Amino acid sequence: MKPLDFITGEIVGILLFFIGLYGLMTKKTIVKTIMSMSIMESGIFLFYITINFTEGAVPPIGQAQEAAFVDPVPSALMITAIVIGIGVTAIGLTMFMHYKQKHGITHWSRNRNQTGSGH
Amino acid sequence: MLYLLVIGPILAGIVSILFKKRDTRLFIVGAQIVQFIYSLIIFIQVRTDGTVFNYMSRLPEGVAITLMADIISSVFVLLTTIIFLMLMLYAFHKDYFTTQFGFLFLVLQGLIISLFFTTDLFNIFVMLEVATVVVAILIMINKEKQAIYDGMIYFFVNVIGTAFLLLGIGMLYRTTGLLDMRAISEALELLDSPRAVILPFAMMMTTLSLKTAVVPLFSWLPKAHGTPSAPPVVSAVLSGLFIKTGVYMFIRFSAMFEPVIQAQELFFIIGFITSIFGFIMALSQNDIKMILAYSTVSQIGLIMIGLNMGSDIAYWGALFHVVSHALFKSTLFLAAGQVYNQYGTRDIRMMRGVLRSMPLTGMAIIFGILGVTGAPMFNGSISKYMISYGSYRPMVQLGLNLINLGTIMYFLKFSTILFGKDNRPEDERPPKEDLLSELLVFIMGGLILLTGVYGPVSMDILFGYQVEVFSTEYFEKGFVYALMIIAAIGLYNGVINKGGLLDRISHVELTFNAVITSMTGFFIFVASYVYFIL
Repeated sequence: MKPLDFITGEIVGILLFFIGLYGLMTKKTIVKTIMSMSIMESGIFLFYITINFTEGAVPPIGQAQEAAFVDPVPSALMITAIVIGIGVTAIGLTMFMHYKQKHGITHWSRNRNQTGSGH
Repeated sequence: MLYLLVIGPILAGIVSILFKKRDTRLFIVGAQIVQFIYSLIIFIQVRTDGTVFNYMSRLPEGVAITLMADIISSVFVLLTTIIFLMLMLYAFHKDYFTTQFGFLFLVLQGLIISLFFTTDLFNIFVMLEVATVVVAILIMINKEKQAIYDGMIYFFVNVIGTAFLLLGIGMLYRTTGLLDMRAISEALELLDSPRAVILPFAMMMTTLSLKTAVVPLFSWLPKAHGTPSAPPVVSAVLSGLFIKTGVYMFIRFSAMFEPVIQAQELFFIIGFITSIFGFIMALSQNDIKMILAYSTVSQIGLIMIGLNMGSDIAYWGALFHVVSHALFKSTLFLAAGQVYNQYGTRDIRMMRGVLRSMPLTGMAIIFGILGVTGAPMFNGSISKYMISYGSYRPMVQLGLNLINLGTIMYFLKFSTILFGKDNRPEDERPPKEDLLSELLVFIMGGLILLTGVYGPVSMDILFGYQVEVFSTEYFEKGFVYALMIIAAIGLYNGVINKGGLLDRISHVELTFNAVITSMTGFFIFVASYVYFIL
């Protein structure tokens, strides 16, 4: 048994998820929020694609072989999730750029101005 | 053929955006009518033949992606199509009803319906994520500064929330190797140790609590639902319908985890806290939309109480409250939209005499208020009566009465806009709202009364649950209601209006980072709670 055997993809994935969460909890800059979100999502992707990883498994294509097949479902799910993740990041950046260029604000503000009227 | 209800509105939206140079409003309304008729057919089919399944491929059950219409989901879908049809008719003559707006609305309808039908966990994640994008665009459709800020908070908080769901689904897949909710429920019974699902349970419940906006994760809701510049139709669909997707998923997910984890008591208490917190915050607001948004928080708390009380009648009462809440809250939001458009302000201290200047809208507001406060013969009273019937514990009864007292108090504050003298100068008034929208608001108000007067009948038609409501006890509740109004008037004018406490409460607000921190805290709390009860 190798000394670093406990560092599997799943563990690293969960760690990345919580590192991203830490960034979201502490950083007030909107760009850093978007970056933390991406880190969090990468953690999830890594977690999924290493679910039930077995050494020497083969892709489930072609004729039946000696070795075990890899479960194709998590990879298929992650293709969808990665596409969604890119879309979400793009939309978040678009919103942020629009907001910054128009109103010059780059941080999450402390208070929402409740002026009531002004419709 | 349930998938037609999902793909139909999205296709109609794409067609409308292809012909966006022409006036597509009639086409969009026509598509809504077709949707409504088809969902009615599905509803009747479910009520006569039982649950309808629609498999997306020829794989065995539990592996194939499945759409399922049972009693609960068919009612939710019927409600969705009714409300969307009403909202489209309401917006017909408004200037914000462009093709782009109609397209977003149709897509949102397809997504909501698919959330109600699907049994596949990954589908739920995809639909939630896309719906978040659509709703965020709808919130900031006017591109005002405040609206963009609110939309961004809504967007980021919800995307992070669904990330929790995705990781939870992954952990569940790792344990069971399945994605279908019914199949997972069967597989969980065979599990050696229930400890393996603590983390996925906590992750998924964090997302659901965020979506249903319970304490402490409600901060995004008033921002999103009460955005100043968002059209009233958007607020109505968010508060009336979209929040119900969270409630629906809560029902499904608790059923899925039921073989191993029962956490009803936790969510029962959370429901109480949410409800009480919601009415206190609503009481402290002066913005007409913010009052309604915090009222949604309070009513969702009440629904959670009913769902987790552990008695049959309270459970169906809570489901009926979902229907009632959808009707009266969308009515109130639409009516509020008419009113603040006319008066040019959203501050309720500046509005007086709505009943005289806009009689139809004024009547609809009265119906809505009577519905939400649970006046006898209105639909809110039926559901609240059924929820309170579920438990005889004195503490529960006391709590429910306290919540109702609070509801009456902030709607007393709200109802001050109806009476008094309209002191706007005659020549500064904007042109009257178009008749179609006035009529629509009034018809929706009428529906509140109709489903209330025929409460047991509509209960039987919708959910197939027979209940005897109009008993002596029900009329005793009417007497209690009258007493409560007097108490509320006294309390409001005597104590609450004078103290400066409310002004301070109204500024209590969490920043973005605090929202995420409370989300993490909630996750750790749920995980440790489940760890201790197992």
